[in-house]
Amino acid sequence: MARPGALAYLAWRALVAHPLKRLFKWRGTGLDRFRAAYVAEGLAPAEPARRAAAEAASACISCGLCETGCDLATATPVVRALGLHAAFRLYSRTTMDLALAGDALERCAGCAGCEALCPTRVPIARVLAALRGGGVGPGPGGRPG
Amino acid sequence: MSGLLEADVLVAGGGMAGAIAALAARRAGRAVALVRRSPGATALSSGAVSVAPDLGALAGEPLASRRPPLEAAARLAAARPDHPYAVVGTARLGEALAFACEELAAALAPFDDRRRFLATLYGSAVGAGLCQRANVAGDLLSVRGLLAVAGFAGHAGFDARLVAGGLGRYVARGGPEPRAVEVALPAGLGALARPHELAGALDAPGAAEALGDALRAALPAGARAALLPPVLGLDPGARAVERVAARAGVPVAETLSDVPSVPGLRLWRALEARLAAAGVRVVQGELAAAPAPGEPVRAGDAMIQAPVWILATGRFVGGGIARRGVLAEPALRLAVQAAEGREAGVHLAVRPAASLTSRDRRRPQPLLSAGLRVDHALRPLDERGRPVHPGLHAAGAVLGGHEQATDGTGLGVAILTGYLAGLAAAEGR
Repeated sequence: MARPGALAYLAWRALVAHPLKRLFKWRGTGLDRFRAAYVAEGLAPAEPARRAAAEAASACISCGLCETGCDLATATPVVRALGLHAAFRLYSRTTMDLALAGDALERCAGCAGCEALCPTRVPIARVLAALRGGGVGPGPGGRPG
Repeated sequence: MSGLLEADVLVAGGGMAGAIAALAARRAGRAVALVRRSPGATALSSGAVSVAPDLGALAGEPLASRRPPLEAAARLAAARPDHPYAVVGTARLGEALAFACEELAAALAPFDDRRRFLATLYGSAVGAGLCQRANVAGDLLSVRGLLAVAGFAGHAGFDARLVAGGLGRYVARGGPEPRAVEVALPAGLGALARPHELAGALDAPGAAEALGDALRAALPAGARAALLPPVLGLDPGARAVERVAARAGVPVAETLSDVPSVPGLRLWRALEARLAAAGVRVVQGELAAAPAPGEPVRAGDAMIQAPVWILATGRFVGGGIARRGVLAEPALRLAVQAAEGREAGVHLAVRPAASLTSRDRRRPQPLLSAGLRVDHALRPLDERGRPVHPGLHAAGAVLGGHEQATDGTGLGVAILTGYLAGLAAAEGR
């Protein structure tokens, strides 16, 4: 009978082999293991400054009023058409999609014309600075460093 | 810092409610200071000014059989005792709406207590009590014959076939026959421009006329009116819609808008221009740790003193009601209340805000109707139901009892309560 043999093998794995491996194989710190599992999916652990920016950005209601104070003059027409607030919409969904807004972030002149227009008081300049410092660069995939 | 600014009335909030309150008090001869931080939810308006939905309307009935706004508002007030319409009464609603249309004539069409059915970007029709001038010619009941729905070639923000297809469902209910057409944007107007850029470009001399010529060339034979994307001009004074229509040879209107909303920005500009023209002192900033009416209060860079205050700070977007675990009114720390089910006036300040939502979207959401409770003179009440201060009034979305974003009475309540609060403040000086 193959079944008792298979069950015995599973029991050996679960009760002896795996716990021993956990005990004796060095797999890095908790942070290393977190990074190995999640960074590839865009879920890098957030530094406190970036986490504060994310909380501030969560007040965004995607109304687009900031767009009217945003020139984005040096961006290509397609990037301008989407606008910088697309970065906020993407950010509220997942950090993976944020890379798509990299071109717009790159072209932000930092004029802060948007901030006084925000009805929910998002500190837009501060959030943008955090996003740009956080490895979001032009094109999909982000910027190294 | 400038010196102490003294006024008869201090209005906090520059949306529809605050602006109407300031203008009403100003017309009564009072010196008015208005403090506002940024554009509020009024700048997100679709172009329609919803006054009251017809609660008794049946699906599929002819559009013309919907009750007019004033009658619908009176019925709504009778059915919902904690709604602001019921609290202050709807007897002066017509007067308030006429006042708003007169003051904001640059953007709003005159009030005539008729329900206008306006097309949305997605081809449904909204029965609005008031609308902008740019919407009037698009009233589905006023177009007799063929309605051309004109999209701009290469412009991704508006799907003329979607709109025309949706409006086709209203033919049997008295709507016009819609037909989608495509208009080539005149040179200088980029199809990839953002809505407010396109609208600003159309304000320029010659641009609206060129679009009118292009529209005329694209119109099907027999078209009685044309419906365009909601980008027909940012500046209410530039009259872009009228200029397009003059060249096109048919009445022209725009659809209602989604955000970012050009009609909303236009309405906000009209408010700002009217406040300036009426002599209201507008202060940029927000009330910092406000004590009580009569005492000096800091707002932005100014110190203001006024015996009567009107709180028109909006709800969640404007920041009049904040959700910080529990609900709070940040400016004066007033009691926030809401109704749950049929029970009115539950004190919510100690309950977690997250417990005030219902999973079933079709049921009333207590969180969305939370706000201040007021007496018939629009004075906020404390936990025990007494007015907090004789010189303090509140108006607009900061009042509870209505889901201002979704129940179809948002700007109607702002106009009525703003008007009444302005008059009460002018009297109670």
